[in-house]
Amino acid sequence: MRSVENALQLEIPLNAQYIRNLIMAAHGVHDHIVHFYHLAALDWVDIVSALKADPKKASQLGESLSNWDQNSTKHMKEVQDRLGTFVKSGQLGIYANGYWGHKAMKLPPEVNLLAAAHYLQALHYQRRINMVVSILGSKTPNIQNLAVGGVANAINPENQSALNMERLYYIKTLIDEVQSFVRNAMLVDVAAVAALYADWTGYGKGVTNYLSAPDMPMDTKGTTFALPGGYIENADLSTFKPIKSFNDEFFKNGVKESVKHSWYKGDWNKHPWEESTDPNHTGMQYDGKYSWVKAPTFNGKTAQVGPLANVLCMYAAGHAGTKKYVTDMLNTISAVAKTKVGPAALHSTIGRIGARAVRCAVLLDECTNQWNALVANIGKGDVKTFNAPKFPSGEIKGVGFHEAPRGILSHWSVIDNGKIKNYQCVVPSTWNAAPRNGSDQPGPYEASLIGTPLADPEKPLEVLRTVHSFDPCLACAIHMVDAKGKDIITVKAL
Amino acid sequence: MKEPTITILGLGNILMSDEGVGVHTVNEFERRYEVPDYVEIVDGGAAGLDLIPFIEGREKVMMVDAVNFDREPGYIDLLENDSIPIRLTQKASMHHLGLMDVLCIVRMSGNVPKDLCIIGIQPKSLELGLDMTPEIWDKKDVLIERIVAKLREWNIPCVLRSPQK
Repeated sequence: MRSVENALQLEIPLNAQYIRNLIMAAHGVHDHIVHFYHLAALDWVDIVSALKADPKKASQLGESLSNWDQNSTKHMKEVQDRLGTFVKSGQLGIYANGYWGHKAMKLPPEVNLLAAAHYLQALHYQRRINMVVSILGSKTPNIQNLAVGGVANAINPENQSALNMERLYYIKTLIDEVQSFVRNAMLVDVAAVAALYADWTGYGKGVTNYLSAPDMPMDTKGTTFALPGGYIENADLSTFKPIKSFNDEFFKNGVKESVKHSWYKGDWNKHPWEESTDPNHTGMQYDGKYSWVKAPTFNGKTAQVGPLANVLCMYAAGHAGTKKYVTDMLNTISAVAKTKVGPAALHSTIGRIGARAVRCAVLLDECTNQWNALVANIGKGDVKTFNAPKFPSGEIKGVGFHEAPRGILSHWSVIDNGKIKNYQCVVPSTWNAAPRNGSDQPGPYEASLIGTPLADPEKPLEVLRTVHSFDPCLACAIHMVDAKGKDIITVKAL
Repeated sequence: MKEPTITILGLGNILMSDEGVGVHTVNEFERRYEVPDYVEIVDGGAAGLDLIPFIEGREKVMMVDAVNFDREPGYIDLLENDSIPIRLTQKASMHHLGLMDVLCIVRMSGNVPKDLCIIGIQPKSLELGLDMTPEIWDKKDVLIERIVAKLREWNIPCVLRSPQK
C-alpha cells in the first residue's frame, strides 16, 4: 500500500493515518503478548515446577512486584489446581517429549506459578486487543480496510453502521483494559525472567547493526512520525542515524539483497527495484546455496531487525516513553537480580525478549495517543478517509516501509503504465533468518547461536530460546496433527 | 440468538493442497446439509489461539483435519477424547500455535468440551497449491458420512438440503 502510495506521491487523509496507526499499534501489542506468554515463555517457565509452589508465597511475591489485582492466594490456588488436573490427566507426552524439567530451567516454583497464572490471563487480554484490530480492520490478521489512498472505513458519529463514537469508546475501553495487564503483569514477568536468567544477557548477541523504521505518521505526507526509527552500527547508540520520511534517501539507497547462498537463479547482489525472484532449488550445499531466504544488507552490512532494534533506535532518538520503560525494566531487573544491570545487557537473547515487552508498553501508549488524535480530528468535523489514486502513464517506482511486530518491513514496486512490473518484499524474518550474504557474513540467527551452551545436546532448549527470541515468521507452515504425537520438526545444527 | 453449544471445525491451510482437506470438507458438508442453530460450522483455517472461543466452553466439538497416521494416503480414522495426543509442542514454527497446543491450553484453562473428536485423513500432498489431489478429494463423501454419523451419535439432527436449481 505505502509502496504504491510512495510511487504516486499520494497524500493520505489524517483520519486514515490515525486509523492505520491504531491498527498497527494494537496488532503489535497483540503479537508481543502472544509471543512472550504463549510462544516463548515455556522456554523459561516450568509449569510442572509450579505444582510445588506455595500459592500464598506466590501471591505475596506478585503483590510485592506490582499492583496487579489478579495475584490473590485464592487465584494462585485455583490455577495450581487446574494445572494439577491437567498434568495428572496422564495422556500428555510432555515429560517424554517436552523440555519441562530440563536442567536449564531455573525459576523457583512460586515464580513459575505466577507466570503460569499470567499465561492463562494473557489469553483473555490478547483477544481483547485483537478486537481493536478486527473492529477497525474487519478481520484479523488479514485486515480488509486498506486501500491505496486511505482506508475503507466510513466515519459518521451519528450512524450505527459507520465508525461512530460508540465503537470508538469501545475501542478505548479495550485499550485501557489491556494497558493494566501489560504494565502490571507482563513488564514485571519479563523483568523477573530476565533477572533470574541474568546469565542469558551474555548469550545470543549475534549481529549488532540494528535497522528499524520510523512509524505512526502524524501528517498526510509521512514526514513526521510518532515513533522514531533509523540505523545503529556495531551496538554503538551514538552512531544512530534517523530515517526521516517515506522519501528518505538514506534508507531508499541502502537496501540490497544477495542470492549467493539462496535458491534463486544467479549470484547477484541487487537493489530491490532491480531484483528478480526465480526459484532454483539445488539441494543442500553448505558452502553454496542452502536457503530459500535471500540475504539483505544495509549499506553492505548485515543488520538485525525487530523490537530490540526498534527500542534501541527509539532510545537513541530520545523517545521519552521508550527511555522510561527501558529504565524501569533495567531497575526492576537489577533489584531482583541484586546486581546492577545496564543497557549493554540488551544486546542478547534476553535483551530481545525484554525489548519486546518495552515495545508492547510503548505501543499501548501509542494506541491511546492515536485514539486521541483520531477523536480530536473527527471533532473538528473532518470525516475524510480516502484520496482516490490516479495512475500516470510511464514508469514510476516506490518504496513503503512499516515497523512490523518482527521488525522493519519494506515493499518495493515498479509500476509501468498503471501495471505492476516488479514487486519485491524485504520482510523482517528475511533480515534475521538470512543465510550468509554476498561477502559471506552470517545473518542474525546464524551469528546469535555461536557460543550458546547446551546442558543436554539431545534437547537443545537453549537453541530454541535464542531462535524464539527473534519471533520467527513461518506462518505458512504445515499445521498437521500427528496421530502419535511425535515431533514433526527436528532441529539440525549446521 | 442463543450461543452455539456445538462446533464443527474444519482445519488446515487451503494454500497447501491436501492440508486444506478439513476446510474443504466442512464447507461441502454445509452446502449439502442443514443443521440446527446451536451447531456452528467454522472454517478454522490455520488459526491458532483464535480458535479458542470456538472450543472453550462448548459442549461438543468435532474437528476435520489432515492427520499423519503413518498410513496410505486417504486412510480415514477417528481420534476421540483420550486418544487425541494433546500436548504442548516445542517447535521451530511459532508464528501460530498448532491445534494440539490450542487444545492443551483449553484444557489448562479448565473448560474442555465433554466430547471432542477429530475426523482425520492421511493426506497425499502438502505441496503449495490451491487444488487438492483427486485421490483425497474423492474421499469427501466418506468424510461427510463420518460427520453425519457422528452427529447422529450425538443425537443432533441434520437433514439433506433440497437440490439447488
